[in-house]
Amino acid sequence: MSADNRPDGPAVGDSGSVSQATARSGRLAAARRSRDWDVMWERYGITVVLLIIWGIAALTIPNFSTRDNLVNVLRQSAFVGVAAIGMTIAIISGTFDLSVGSTLGLAAWVAVSVARVAGVGPAIVAALAVGLIVGSINGVLVSVVRIPAFIATLGMLFIIRGFTFVITLGQAARFNGKSFIWMGNGTLASWVPVPFAIFVVLALLGAAILRYTAFGRYVYAIGSNSVSALVAGVPLRRSTALVFIATGLFTAASAVLIGARLYSAGPGLEPGYELKVIATVVLGGTRLSGGRGSMLGTVAAAILFATLGNLLNLVHADSFVQRVAVGLVLLLALSIEGVRQRLAERLSRRLAA
Amino acid sequence: MTGVRKFLQTYAIGLIVLVVAVVLSLMTPHFFRVENLLNVMTNAAVVAIVGAGMTLAIASGNFDLSVGSTAAFAGCVSMSVVPTAGVAAGIVAGLLTGALVGLANGLIITELRVPAFIATLGMLEIVRGLALIYTQGRDIYLYGQTEYKVLSGGHIFGIPMPVLIAVGLAGLIALVVAQTRFGRHVLAIGNSLPAARRSGVRTSLVLWGVFVIVGMTAALSGMVISAQVLTANGRLATGLELSAIAVVVVGGTALSGGRASLVGTLLGALLVAVINNGLNLLNVPIFYQELTVGILLVVALALSVDRSFNPFTQLRRQQ
Repeated sequence: MSADNRPDGPAVGDSGSVSQATARSGRLAAARRSRDWDVMWERYGITVVLLIIWGIAALTIPNFSTRDNLVNVLRQSAFVGVAAIGMTIAIISGTFDLSVGSTLGLAAWVAVSVARVAGVGPAIVAALAVGLIVGSINGVLVSVVRIPAFIATLGMLFIIRGFTFVITLGQAARFNGKSFIWMGNGTLASWVPVPFAIFVVLALLGAAILRYTAFGRYVYAIGSNSVSALVAGVPLRRSTALVFIATGLFTAASAVLIGARLYSAGPGLEPGYELKVIATVVLGGTRLSGGRGSMLGTVAAAILFATLGNLLNLVHADSFVQRVAVGLVLLLALSIEGVRQRLAERLSRRLAA
Repeated sequence: MTGVRKFLQTYAIGLIVLVVAVVLSLMTPHFFRVENLLNVMTNAAVVAIVGAGMTLAIASGNFDLSVGSTAAFAGCVSMSVVPTAGVAAGIVAGLLTGALVGLANGLIITELRVPAFIATLGMLEIVRGLALIYTQGRDIYLYGQTEYKVLSGGHIFGIPMPVLIAVGLAGLIALVVAQTRFGRHVLAIGNSLPAARRSGVRTSLVLWGVFVIVGMTAALSGMVISAQVLTANGRLATGLELSAIAVVVVGGTALSGGRASLVGTLLGALLVAVINNGLNLLNVPIFYQELTVGILLVVALALSVDRSFNPFTQLRRQQ
């Protein structure tokens, strides 16, 4: 029965007698408390969980807190994390982009190929150009042709993967020039892996875009309610297109790092990446329904997934178990809010009785 | 105008299938041969079977992203049971596996209140992992157990079994949607979950039913795929979830929920299979097949997109 009673807002009682009025204010207070809790959990929950896991791991697993291992974990977090920055913006605006897995493959292949003939600078520019083009096409399909984002980007996932196979003839590009692979494998001051440094800088950039630019405010507004946003004068079409361009660009940045890390990139890179990226963003506390979310959570979630994989490696769990663990963590983290809501409802019902 | 539009929306996909088929038969003599057509229909059926379940999920306003993993897990479980317990028991075991995964999906969505997208995304990873653990990453072969091939190679009146399963299943689900209380409740939930709940629909129960059905159709697809080569492994049917959703959407079932077109799903699967077959016959590299599916999706949606619920147009009407 209680399952059939999800709240669509704070409980509203009938006004009338005094006792009903106090019951109502009690319920409202409970609702407010639970909302505070929601906000705190959404913003900082996953960061706290990450710190707790790191604490426990440091105490119980001998090789976890060595420098090499921590550097490794942080490095690993960047490869999904950078694309997740763009996806965070997309999901906050109430949409998402399924094409990032294919975009990653194409942009990484372009980056590696260009790096071989023209050097690192042009490689980065070329990869970002791929991201820009793909993002623009997605943006046009969604905001001008008005295809629902899910389908438009699903279609683009197939199109770009097919296109990548066609132009690469199924072959991977390889390049191991020093300054190129440094972006994926280098370490700053022997503690900070280069990809992680780039990840943090880009995350700060993403957070700044969300917080300090008009576009950032539009993103939250559109995600909360696109019709109200439009009525309030938000340039809906342009902002939506920009959202997809942003995911394209951040995915391309991710692609450069992965290409540099692996010395190679081919069209097989990387099926299922889009779902990993979305999982990271959602684990970070960003709501799929839009309007709420933060970059801090995304960064913490990316590090958390990397930590999880690393811990399972350290205890010699095989890669199959890792997939189960990743799924369980996602479900666990995402069900906490629902379970807590149900408990709060039961409590407020008892208060009301 | 609306009459023409409605007619086109309903039958466009069927017409497109016909046009493509005619063009292909003119381009290559091999297309319009019985063996080839049966082959095309069999390929379409594999996706259409899970597509039929997915249509129901989408009609209820949800997705199931776990179907690819479920297909693999059920295929593996089913095949591993066959040598000791026989083909019938194997099929039952596979269906049971699918039903259990579906029930888990439903419970996570209604009881833990995880959005279906995330719940089934998590289950995609979990069930894929379980399938790999169960098989220890190896292949399961059925040496000499060719009775299992009845699922993929059987014929009744010359029609391949997968096609019969797909058409039968789609017909059954269409009947359920149109004629039963459960079906009406599914559509009601797809239109508006809160409204359905307040009208007395036991939404949790209905959603469990939906996801159990989707899980079982995914299991059937998985078993048909593994029966084709009498081999199953944990990597089977990777990406099936997105192909299935694509086929449903090309078939005209709106992602927004509240409507189901099972005929559309069958035709959508057929269209994709016909085009891929044509590309094969014309010696086009296999890489182009994904491109085609993508373009098909975008074009189909660009033509049929329902602009009435779009904020871009909504404002214009208000002014």
